Amino acid sequence: MPIPELEKSIIKGVIQKDKVVIDGIELDGTWNSFMIERTQTGYDPSVWDEIANTLEGVTISACWQCGTCTSGCTMREYDPKYGPRRFIDLARKGDKQGLIELQNSIWRCVSCQKCTHRCPKGVLVEEVVHAIHNYLLRHGLVSTDPGTVFDELFFETVMNNGGRISELMLGAASVKKGMVKMGLKDLITMTGPLLRSGLFKELMKPSKVKNWEKIREVIEEAMKEEVRPE
Amino acid sequence: MSAQVPYGKVALYPGCALDGMAKQYEVSLALVAKDLGLTYERLDDYNCCGALEVKNVNTMAGLLLPARNLALARKIGADAIMSACPGCHYSLSRAQYYLSKYPKLREKVNAYLEKMGEIKYDLQLMTIHVNEFLYNSVGIEVIKSKVKRPLTGLKVAPYYGCLYTRPKPYTLTGYLRLKDDPERPVFMDKLLEALGAEVVPFEAKTMCCGGPHVYSDPDVSINLEARILKEARRNGAEILVVDCPLGGVAIESNMNKIAERYGEDLRMPVVYFTQLMAFAFGHSPEEAMLTANLTNPMSVLKRYL
Repeated sequence: MPIPELEKSIIKGVIQKDKVVIDGIELDGTWNSFMIERTQTGYDPSVWDEIANTLEGVTISACWQCGTCTSGCTMREYDPKYGPRRFIDLARKGDKQGLIELQNSIWRCVSCQKCTHRCPKGVLVEEVVHAIHNYLLRHGLVSTDPGTVFDELFFETVMNNGGRISELMLGAASVKKGMVKMGLKDLITMTGPLLRSGLFKELMKPSKVKNWEKIREVIEEAMKEEVRPE
Repeated sequence: MSAQVPYGKVALYPGCALDGMAKQYEVSLALVAKDLGLTYERLDDYNCCGALEVKNVNTMAGLLLPARNLALARKIGADAIMSACPGCHYSLSRAQYYLSKYPKLREKVNAYLEKMGEIKYDLQLMTIHVNEFLYNSVGIEVIKSKVKRPLTGLKVAPYYGCLYTRPKPYTLTGYLRLKDDPERPVFMDKLLEALGAEVVPFEAKTMCCGGPHVYSDPDVSINLEARILKEARRNGAEILVVDCPLGGVAIESNMNKIAERYGEDLRMPVVYFTQLMAFAFGHSPEEAMLTANLTNPMSVLKRYL
């Protein structure tokens, strides 16, 4: 399949000799340049295959690289390197190195779903970006990022907290992990209205799914299963 | 009570938010629904919908959590499952999408649901949001007739959040008449106008608040939230009306930091739209739990008492 190469120079370098004489004619200027490495090697086509075989990543093949996702992207304004179209392009080519170079950007998706919503080809872009990121994590190509740490923290809290999340517990866990700083002023503004309205008492009540222990076992068993889009 | 046009029997999926810091949302929703003669059944044994986080950790867990809630709603014979939190609405709709699209996956999920002791999910639910429910079930004229405390002259900016209308493959906005416009939603605007409030032009209606990264990428989310408030302030709004507990709580709890970094004039009270409706329907601020909000909505609402 022909792959458009638009964002990365395929000319790795130029050899320019001081003096070249061929058949008695001296070459100089541009005639004296030799390009090296006209093609980029090291593509791994299995990246596309593997991502297209996951439930989230199956729509990656429908992308026609129009860039609608990237033009409206929330994160793009904050991080010029962030671009769903680029991630999809690199993943389909199997340019692992290119993706690894973007590891400080790729986790930053805020899941605002503008890309998925607007894609004219029905690519679930937000899901595909997470599928690409998950591929990198699964193969140990990138180090863990704050987003993934928080996702895992969230899931852990749900599992250990009787199937429900509690903002206080999640907030406390995040503060403990050093993800967010809470000053005394924040604490006062937070707890004041909660105490005044009696909401605080509600929040402290243990809230739990009845049969959670059993459900938890089933979920843990299900997590081992490989999910395919079929 | 007879089945409601157009949704039939409605199950309320509270989600963790309504049992947590957005308790006032549910309390005020109950008041409003009672006044309007609308009924729904609360799913008491619900579990977390997985939000935007669990799906990134594990695919199967990200589907089983919402699927169990869908099965619970079918167990009580509901035709529609209503969420107050757009995050839950998104998550349940997402599960619905994947389970309808992939039959083998559905079989697997159903097998696990049976192992948990739940019924199989038969895909017969419509996923709806409170906003759509209130707008479509009774009509604007009925809402107008219930107003005892018209909020004339109150300038409001309605903030819908990202996930109320997006993405269309899951929430079906733009495909169904009962659903809002995907890019420029208006249902909440109409509800607020019916209360007598003045809805200011507000382009940040569906702008992201950085919710999922409020802890992991705080600078970005604080800036995003400041942008929403700035847009509201620029258009002359006095109060930000939200239908999203994720955004509401994030904006409220970051308000000090926003004011510190981007200016004191961005400080603005945040209120759930059902609270405002309950207040306009004549309920006291205590009943509508307007005192529970971290920012103080009564500072602008007290002139209507």
